[in-house]
Amino acid sequence: MSQTDIEIVVDDPTAPEDDSPSVVSSGTVEIVICLLLLALAATLGYDNWRTGASWDATGPEPGYFPFYLSIILGCGSLYGLIATLVSHRATRETFVARAQAGRVMAVFVPTLLFCLVTQFLGLYVASFLLIAGFMRLVGKITLWKSLLTALVFTAIMFVTFDIAFDVIMPKGPLEAALGR
Amino acid sequence: MEAFGLLLHGFAVLLTWKTLVLMMVGLVLGIFVGVLPGLGGPNGVAILLPLTFTMDPTSAIVMLSCIYWGALFGGAITSILFNIPGEAWSVATTFDGYPMAQQGRAAEALTAAFTSSFIGSLVAVLLITFLAPMISSFALKFGPPEFFAVYLLTFCSFVGLGREAKHKTVISMSLGLLLAGIGMDTVSGNLRMTFGSPELLRGVNFLVAVIGLFGISEILLTMEERLALRGHAAGISLRVVLGVWRDLPKYWVTLLRSSFIGCWLGITPGGAIAASFMGYNLAKRFAKEPESFGKGRIEGVFAPETAAHASGTSALLPMLALGIPGSGTAAILLGGLMVWGLNPGPLLFVEHKDFVWGLIASMYLGNVVGLVLVLTTVPIFASILRVPFAAVAPMIVVSCAIGAYAIQNAIFDIWLMLGFGVVGYVFKKIGIPLAPFTLALVLGNRAEDAFRLSMIGSGGTLKVFWSNGLVGSITTLAILLLFWPVIDSLLARVGLTHGTRATSR
Amino acid sequence: MRIPVKAVGAATALLLSTPAFAGWEPTKPVEIVVAAGAGGASDQMARMMQAAIQKNNLMKQPMVVSLKGGASGAEALMYMKSSEGDPNKVLIAYSLIYMLPLSAKIPFNWRELTPVSVVALDQFVLWDNSAGPKTVKEFVAAAKAASAPFKMGGTGSKREDHVLTVFLEQKTGAKFSYLPYKSGGEAATQLVGNHTQANVNNPSENLEVWRAGQVRPLCVFDKERISYTSKVTDTQSWADIPTCKEEGVDVQYLMLRAMFLPGKVTPEQQAFYVDLFHKVTQTAEYKEYMEKQALKPIFLTGKDMVQFLEEDDALNKSLMTQAGFVAK
Repeated sequence: MSQTDIEIVVDDPTAPEDDSPSVVSSGTVEIVICLLLLALAATLGYDNWRTGASWDATGPEPGYFPFYLSIILGCGSLYGLIATLVSHRATRETFVARAQAGRVMAVFVPTLLFCLVTQFLGLYVASFLLIAGFMRLVGKITLWKSLLTALVFTAIMFVTFDIAFDVIMPKGPLEAALGR
Repeated sequence: MEAFGLLLHGFAVLLTWKTLVLMMVGLVLGIFVGVLPGLGGPNGVAILLPLTFTMDPTSAIVMLSCIYWGALFGGAITSILFNIPGEAWSVATTFDGYPMAQQGRAAEALTAAFTSSFIGSLVAVLLITFLAPMISSFALKFGPPEFFAVYLLTFCSFVGLGREAKHKTVISMSLGLLLAGIGMDTVSGNLRMTFGSPELLRGVNFLVAVIGLFGISEILLTMEERLALRGHAAGISLRVVLGVWRDLPKYWVTLLRSSFIGCWLGITPGGAIAASFMGYNLAKRFAKEPESFGKGRIEGVFAPETAAHASGTSALLPMLALGIPGSGTAAILLGGLMVWGLNPGPLLFVEHKDFVWGLIASMYLGNVVGLVLVLTTVPIFASILRVPFAAVAPMIVVSCAIGAYAIQNAIFDIWLMLGFGVVGYVFKKIGIPLAPFTLALVLGNRAEDAFRLSMIGSGGTLKVFWSNGLVGSITTLAILLLFWPVIDSLLARVGLTHGTRATSR
Repeated sequence: MRIPVKAVGAATALLLSTPAFAGWEPTKPVEIVVAAGAGGASDQMARMMQAAIQKNNLMKQPMVVSLKGGASGAEALMYMKSSEGDPNKVLIAYSLIYMLPLSAKIPFNWRELTPVSVVALDQFVLWDNSAGPKTVKEFVAAAKAASAPFKMGGTGSKREDHVLTVFLEQKTGAKFSYLPYKSGGEAATQLVGNHTQANVNNPSENLEVWRAGQVRPLCVFDKERISYTSKVTDTQSWADIPTCKEEGVDVQYLMLRAMFLPGKVTPEQQAFYVDLFHKVTQTAEYKEYMEKQALKPIFLTGKDMVQFLEEDDALNKSLMTQAGFVAK
């Protein structure tokens, strides 16, 4: 072993520019999240009130804790909502810039499609498609490398989980045709 | 020496070829996830957890704890060579580690990091070894009120001591508690918050949530930032290693101080992040020439690494002994224990001696084997970073999906994971802390059940939480912690103290 | 590149192993669905069957244990219900198939599944802490005299253990507060720690703490004593435990352990599993397990099984109704 340093350099050709315009501000996102949480709190609160949220002879009923927790959650979100509306400074801070949003979507959308495909074609086919597609389309890596990596990775997963450890994954028509 | 006998027995359980092989596999996988951007200790353990579902609990925990060691070691590699902290607690390691690498002393810095991780963990494991037997004798004292008091203490310490905006901690925790309540309520046998959906029947699984909140959201966040990196890879020669080790005695004060801080913060839910910073800051404060820190001083690597690892390891003690996770990874191991049918908590030491001592013995072995392994394989693992992120990202997504699905064999959980991924991404960006959320999700049901069982048992009076010395003191402490900010400012006003705010940062 | 080659090897091996004789046989790994958490009685039984089938080569495909204990087992029931026509899933059921639809209004009816066979009956025993009263009479007297009601631990709410507790109250006139724990194991350790005064666990759930001398069996809820006579503790065997009727408390309850396939499977598929589980009950693993866990051996299938299920269903329904556990 030598002590000479090997330099590792990894470039990121798709990195976002630093001056990309803001898509949405943190304040707006916080307001939306608080409103969503309020709605959630109201729904859950109602359901628990229906289940029974009083304190009977043997202690609290099943809906007791969740009901009051919904109220606490509601209050917390309401406080957050008001606090955000009152403080103007935080509102203008960038939540996500346009270039960043594009990159996040470039991961999120394929992941979403992956989940959808898993539902119908099984996990292994979906995994192959996701890796190959993502490497080719997002990473701009040559086709054969993408396909090979996807195949090898999926095969390793299959051998590890379905064969070696008997952990059964969702399967689709392809596996059925192969008799698994 | 009861502990010593039990520990030897633990080693006997471990020393089979099968466990040794699992140990190596776990360590390699762990270093792998530690080095990869967008993964890290807790995520790695969560994703690899399903591999262990069909194993017996002892093999499973050996493999998992080795994944954990591996991830801890792996985190240091990227911090030093690339200035990318794989984990939040490796941030302090970059302060001096990266400058050292730039000066061509990467090998020295890495050796220092691995050695101090080793020492930190070793001290914590020794502590666990000697405290564990005491716990088992005290275990049977725990009935529902005692369990509730301990859970309450954990929750209160989060609200009272957290540094984030209070209302955000409250939102995060109440949301976690609510989601934990979905499904069947054990005490009444009724369904709640399921809205008639068979998918919601089984409730929201903690591990699925963690994989989404940390794994998927981390990918989104990593992708958002610039990924170009430039760093130094180094082979470690025996001469450098021996050189660093020869100098170790010089730094005994730093090592001891950091170990102590780490153990303390690991057992109380302070966490490895706080420990690593505190270790670094104290080393700097007590140094003769503090200004030399940050420019590649070896103590600046020793101090945070020792503290972080002592804390990460000792966090396992409250998890095993009380069922309360002291860190994110400990929380995931807790979820794993429940999947294998082991009930974490004081009784674990009574019911599953083999398991507990096997785990403790595996900590010693895993630590030693891990140290040797990382010292010899650094260049290989460092080159993982050359793999383009566009290839790594989808693989991580697939691994997350496998992990989420395998926990309950439910496709719905893959969707849930995706949902939590988005929630995690948004929450992280607007500063809602995720730790109280996961804590609430994992402990919520248990806390509620314990409370209601106490009520049934006592005929519905709250006095049961002060019915004996043990439960009474825990409950009182919990309430004190909850109102600590108020008490603190009151004390400050009457001039008894000048407020802890200055020191608690 | 070594791993993909292995995968291909494994795949060809699978293709070659086509069935050698006529009749239906599973072509995929069979999932044995457990309606309880890891380590519980159902899980242990499933793992025993998995081992018995593998060791004795009773089936070519592997058997995989799939834990679906969510919502006190309701998850497993809904899963079986939605797997209509899938012959690669078999449920290991117990009395929850009657009780859950009544207490929690789960939209499930065991008649929608395909019955395979009843493979065992599980006993219930009244236990107390070894420092507590020594006989049922003393126990009942102590429970009546206590200022606060005796605490009875059990698994889940509005289920077997809870029903038994209610009947014990009705027959003895003593009052109990029932504490529902998540598992029988938890109920056992809480009894050892004296946080409850008694429980009505299955023999398997209290076996270890009984052997450790921490709990005492008071009586068994059956018409006759358990048949196993080999010593479990230093002094006692299962057969030494008196029945509750002998001790003057006439409460009886046995719980089935039965195998079900999803609905709408073919008669050939059903026949394969009837045969498979019949063979399982002949194995040494099964026999050893039955004795260790003090289960009552039984094998019912076809018409006998359906008749048994109908009667058992009616019995459980009336018990649940009397106890007031049927959701409105």
